[in-house]
Amino acid sequence: MAMAESDALVSDLFRREAGKISAWLARLLGPSRLDLIEDAVQDAFGVALARWPEDGVPERPAAWLAVAARNRALDRLKHEAKSAPFDEAAAWRLGFSNPEATGRLDDTLALMFVACHPALAPDEQTMLTLKTVCGFGVKDVARAYLTTPDAVTQRLVRAKRKIRELGLRFEIPEGPALGERLPALIAAIYLLFNGGYTAGEGEGLMAQELCAEALRLATLLTEHPATATGEAHALAALIAFHHARAGARTGEAGELLLLSEQDRGKWDRPLIARGFTHLASAMSADTLTALHLEAAIAAAHAGAASFAATDWPTVAHYYHLLEELKPTPVVRLNAAIAIAHAEGPAVGLARLDALDAEKLARYALYHAARGALLLRLDRRSEAADATARALTCPLTAPERIHLERRLRECRSKPETPIAPA
Amino acid sequence: MPSFLLLLHSNVDRPKPSSPDEYMAITKTYMAWTDRIRREGHHQGGQKLTDDAGKILRNAGGRVSITDGPYAESKEVLGGYYLITARDYEEACKVAVTSPHLGYGGRIEVRQIHEL
Repeated sequence: MAMAESDALVSDLFRREAGKISAWLARLLGPSRLDLIEDAVQDAFGVALARWPEDGVPERPAAWLAVAARNRALDRLKHEAKSAPFDEAAAWRLGFSNPEATGRLDDTLALMFVACHPALAPDEQTMLTLKTVCGFGVKDVARAYLTTPDAVTQRLVRAKRKIRELGLRFEIPEGPALGERLPALIAAIYLLFNGGYTAGEGEGLMAQELCAEALRLATLLTEHPATATGEAHALAALIAFHHARAGARTGEAGELLLLSEQDRGKWDRPLIARGFTHLASAMSADTLTALHLEAAIAAAHAGAASFAATDWPTVAHYYHLLEELKPTPVVRLNAAIAIAHAEGPAVGLARLDALDAEKLARYALYHAARGALLLRLDRRSEAADATARALTCPLTAPERIHLERRLRECRSKPETPIAPA
Repeated sequence: MPSFLLLLHSNVDRPKPSSPDEYMAITKTYMAWTDRIRREGHHQGGQKLTDDAGKILRNAGGRVSITDGPYAESKEVLGGYYLITARDYEEACKVAVTSPHLGYGGRIEVRQIHEL
């Protein structure tokens, strides 16, 4: 096999298998040994990269990697005995372990509960989840967070130290503990999704990967009886609806396409169907959370045949309910935009102008939305000012292209026909 | 295909490994053997049991007594078990005879699982 070919195979396998092997080893060795486990898994993939090009790819590569990682873990356990009493029981658990038993849902969820322990800061939770559960390298995590690998490593070291100090058990919590720990897990996945969906300056591809991972993790939650709550289903629905539009969100020049401009034929229909299934499960639960409403709003868009056919009064109604549960400036902003669609640009603009402009000063969507409404009211110079203001905020490349086009539109004379983008 | 239980008995007085290295070496031989019978399609499961005598429950004239394990009657302790697949006792023994357990002075009891 050619070198490049086996390299690609290993990196593909790494993403898929590293998290499974880590979760399996964490079950055998305990979550306080995440460092040892990550090193062992890393070593195993290093050995694969060195050997497979010459020896050929083994018949069952995933099991081969699990065996290699386990053997490395055993060596490292011996090394550990230099500074602490030898953990004989852990060695025997490795000795009797079954390397074909990786990928169990219980193990992956237990690892997620460790990584998303409420004692960890939210970004520590998401970074550790990406690293251990999703098999992202430190460089990829750094890319997702627009920071340096060193900074990521520091955060991970701190997070793992906290986990050791907490002396966590490797398990899916039960009873009241489950209720205390699940919200952090859901919040972390939401953050991962949000980071992917609105990655500032980030690369589009990375953003999609984050969304795909968030979708995978949220779906895992809905597959286990302990974690398949209404809120978990709502989260899975929300991410599915948004991720279904990933392929339609950018135009040929890489510019951002708004909901109104997207080719709905490019939406991922099977994924939207999955979203509706999760939404139905979410609605059969007896609690209504903010995520339920966010999912319902996304569903209203996903179910509309065209932008013009959007049921804006319903969307505005959901936003109204959401504002009560989650009265953040960003939710109020989106509520105002929905009202603008339902009741006209003047009403929407009045709602926007009633918001706390200071809190939204660095938020591009606020200025962009004002610009769009002002343009619809034909207040062109004000529209241009607001759009220019949006361009000074943190933006992704597609968003920037979109807003620059809008700015030209604001500055063009009304009688000049607007060139198609 | 029938299933067999391999019960790994050890002598209580066997010399204990004196260093992590020695432990490691022993663990690795069991691990390699486990991997081998897995590759050969015999392995179904197996666990090491803790190094204590366990508990024995008896019904003595309607009263259940619980006493410490078999040390009192035997010099042997059950150290672990494997569940394997084999055609018959002959094949099960052929699998068991390759176990490193025998090399460490242990005894292996092979028992067929009664299929219902």
